[in-house]
Amino acid sequence: MASPTVEPRRPTTGPAHRRGLVGWFDPRGRRLGGLAFILNRLTGLGLVLYLYLHLMILSMLIQGPNAWDDFVDIALSPPFLALDVVLLTGMLFHGLNGIRVGLVGLGVVPNRQKALLVAALVIAALVAFVGALRIFAGEQGG
Amino acid sequence: MTETVTNARTTRLVVSRRKEGDDPGALRYDTFDVAVGPSTTILDALVAIRRELDPTLTFRHSCFHASCGTCGMRVDGREGLACVTPVPTRDEVTVEPLGNLPVVSDLVVDMNVFYDEFDEAGRPLVRADDLIPECAPAEGIDQVERYEDCIECGICLSACPVAGSDPRYVGPAALAAAWRLIDEPRGRDPGPVLSLMDDEQGAWRCHLAWECSEACPSGVDPAAAIMRLRGAAAAARVRRLFSFGGNR
Amino acid sequence: MTVEKQPADRPDAGPRNAPVFVLQVISGAALLVLLGLHMVAQHFVVPTGLRYYEDVIAWLGNPVVIAVEVAFLVFVTYHALVGVRAILFDFGFSDRAERRITLLLWIVGIATIGYGVALFAAILNAA
Repeated sequence: MASPTVEPRRPTTGPAHRRGLVGWFDPRGRRLGGLAFILNRLTGLGLVLYLYLHLMILSMLIQGPNAWDDFVDIALSPPFLALDVVLLTGMLFHGLNGIRVGLVGLGVVPNRQKALLVAALVIAALVAFVGALRIFAGEQGG
Repeated sequence: MTETVTNARTTRLVVSRRKEGDDPGALRYDTFDVAVGPSTTILDALVAIRRELDPTLTFRHSCFHASCGTCGMRVDGREGLACVTPVPTRDEVTVEPLGNLPVVSDLVVDMNVFYDEFDEAGRPLVRADDLIPECAPAEGIDQVERYEDCIECGICLSACPVAGSDPRYVGPAALAAAWRLIDEPRGRDPGPVLSLMDDEQGAWRCHLAWECSEACPSGVDPAAAIMRLRGAAAAARVRRLFSFGGNR
Repeated sequence: MTVEKQPADRPDAGPRNAPVFVLQVISGAALLVLLGLHMVAQHFVVPTGLRYYEDVIAWLGNPVVIAVEVAFLVFVTYHALVGVRAILFDFGFSDRAERRITLLLWIVGIATIGYGVALFAAILNAA
């Protein structure tokens, strides 16, 4: 069966204060949910980029221990560790906000979206902070 | 008896202007210095501008008490009804028309597109399910019919970031109206409406920014309605999958 | 007087790919588990973490680990590209453009998973 067609409901030409892509990032008038919307997009895109970077870096394992271990030594430098903290924070927010999106987005708890969002932000911040301390302290063992 | 406004101050309103023939890609703003008091609203200030400074300024208004939804606009980027939005205490305030709808003139947008979307949902107007218990019908009145909270002001559509980039998205107002019909069919078959909104450009295009509910001046909470609509749509699909039958 | 209206008759309307969201939620839930396992493995299995070559190769020598990592790759690739698709579709492209975007992302996704599986094989062969 052919997919039904949805034509544009609002004119795509002519004057309008249409926000468009720029409007996604316009902070004026935005509340917490709008911030979550923007952060989810940015962290998602960042994680997509990281996925492909990670796959490319893993290919160094084919080159043998010297190439890989040399890279690891670079990756343990403070700038790279800082990027690890950014990655960790992004993963935490995206995952925890994803729980909110899943539960609220399927109509399970539509009245709890703000509480879930605040919880996601707080938990992400706390775990990221602890993670940052461990990353820079060089602790690896459990 | 002569009265004067106490604590009057002057605020600069920076107002978006557009007239027929203007360059569609250009945004033009005019500034007006307006004397305001502690309870002056944005609508009061706009009326004063039109009366005393620039009679060509166009904007819509009607009831002056937040029940008609006509005066929706953006003040410093935030949607609201001008008749109940106090002039901020800042020295300069920006006033712009609602977003995501074609601008007809200055602060007036073409609402026909917005109203047409309600036809998709059947435009439910009457709601009888959540009467306030303390407000029992007066003696001699058998039944009370309560109108929907939605005043069709278009503020939710303006606030929605997805409606800003996707002209095919049906929008929060129509989706909330669809949910109200599904939740309270009042003798109508909700199946077709649920099927209509169970669509990638319908309920599933929402990304939970919740800006529509935050901006709504009338307590509609369209975002929660959209989520309940999605839950109903998902449940209907599961039922069809397991051949339980029915669309709700 | 305002009157209630019947829903507009749109015989061409109906469900269009709406379960994508449900699958995105399911893959996201799977990732919460798989990513958690991945992170625990990377940082807590070996005292210094799975950093250096010998530790990584020894870890990847376990077929259960390979199976979990491939599952992780499949779910993360699906979730990532469906997310990209959702962002792109927020621009209201035509149905035809949306079909092309979907096809392109399927190709990218299969290529990504294929690359990942080939990479695992190449790493183990080179060890």
